[in-house]
Amino acid sequence: MPSLARYIRSVRRIGIKEWWHQMQYIGDAKSGKFVGKDQFGNRYFENLNPEEEVPGRHRWVDYAQHDFNATQVPAEWHAWLQHIRKEPPPEDRVMQNLSPPWKAPWVENLTGTRGVYRAYNTTKPKIEAWEPKVAPRGQ
Amino acid sequence: MSFLCALVSAGSSARVATRIAAPRASAMLTYRLLSTTPRLSAQEAPKDYLGDSSSSPRSLGTRAATFTAADEPGKNYDPYKDGPSAIDKAVHLFFLTEILRGMWLVLEQVFRPPYTIMYPFEKGPLSPRFRGEHALRRYPSGEERCIACKLCEAICPAQAITIESEARLDGSRRTTRYDIDMTKCIYCGFCQEACPVDAIVETQNQEFSTETREELLYNKEKLLANGDRAEAEIAANLHADHVYR
Repeated sequence: MPSLARYIRSVRRIGIKEWWHQMQYIGDAKSGKFVGKDQFGNRYFENLNPEEEVPGRHRWVDYAQHDFNATQVPAEWHAWLQHIRKEPPPEDRVMQNLSPPWKAPWVENLTGTRGVYRAYNTTKPKIEAWEPKVAPRGQ
Repeated sequence: MSFLCALVSAGSSARVATRIAAPRASAMLTYRLLSTTPRLSAQEAPKDYLGDSSSSPRSLGTRAATFTAADEPGKNYDPYKDGPSAIDKAVHLFFLTEILRGMWLVLEQVFRPPYTIMYPFEKGPLSPRFRGEHALRRYPSGEERCIACKLCEAICPAQAITIESEARLDGSRRTTRYDIDMTKCIYCGFCQEACPVDAIVETQNQEFSTETREELLYNKEKLLANGDRAEAEIAANLHADHVYR
């Protein structure tokens, strides 16, 4: 519930430095419980008090990078941030048990960069060009 | 002036024709939380025309067989008895109060707190069945699941999937080509429902927009990479939903 009292309360809780940081990114002074940090340094927060945060805005992420985008959130935290999973990944037993050892590292959406995915053929070509081989002439 | 007051008090309670003096009209002046309180205009439907539904229900059972025309239910009911008078209705008609009530609703919205989810930082709720970007899964041992049965290719209504297969060196049949044209895909989810081994799934990732069209022509490597990096989330979602499947 946005109100002036909530704003001032949040600023007093998080401090001037964090408030300035939030105003540069989220554009609102939000305070809540620190839930965790992923491998990229993104921090995740939660505030379940409906008087302070409107339900639906109660989970948020503070991106580590200045050039943030939504795909920098890894899959496990994505499930928490989008309210698919109730527990955050460090406490979610189901997600921890279902994480395979061959899990690949998360990469963000690389479109527009040099690491962009380009489509290529995964099969052997159906038509092979004739390779002329000249048999040595008999003497 | 008193007419205007009546207008304003009736403004937020719609359906003036059914109830002029709504008891909740004064609640408009109190402070309301947008997300938790119902809108004043969303009131319950008017009562049944047949009067008390408890004393004379619509279904009369076997007694209805002995009814005559005089026993028609609700025959003596006056639907205008408790409603506004004709003069009241004429006043509201000629003074265009419906337009003013509509404008009052708009004015109410101005003073409501905004409900904006600041997207890249906060996100709306998503279902574990959400159908987003595709991924090919692997077994817990690391073996790829897809057995090239081509059921997904057959059921795909947009014909976005192309599969070619060959026998591997150990004799098992695997795909050599698994292409999905994401520009053709309509995200109906038939492929993941057709799959007998849960190989092709639609993940909850919806942020795979690209700058060029070619990047959306996914091949097998890309789909497997999608599955490898999001396997924990995919498996957790399937686990959350397995009792309903």
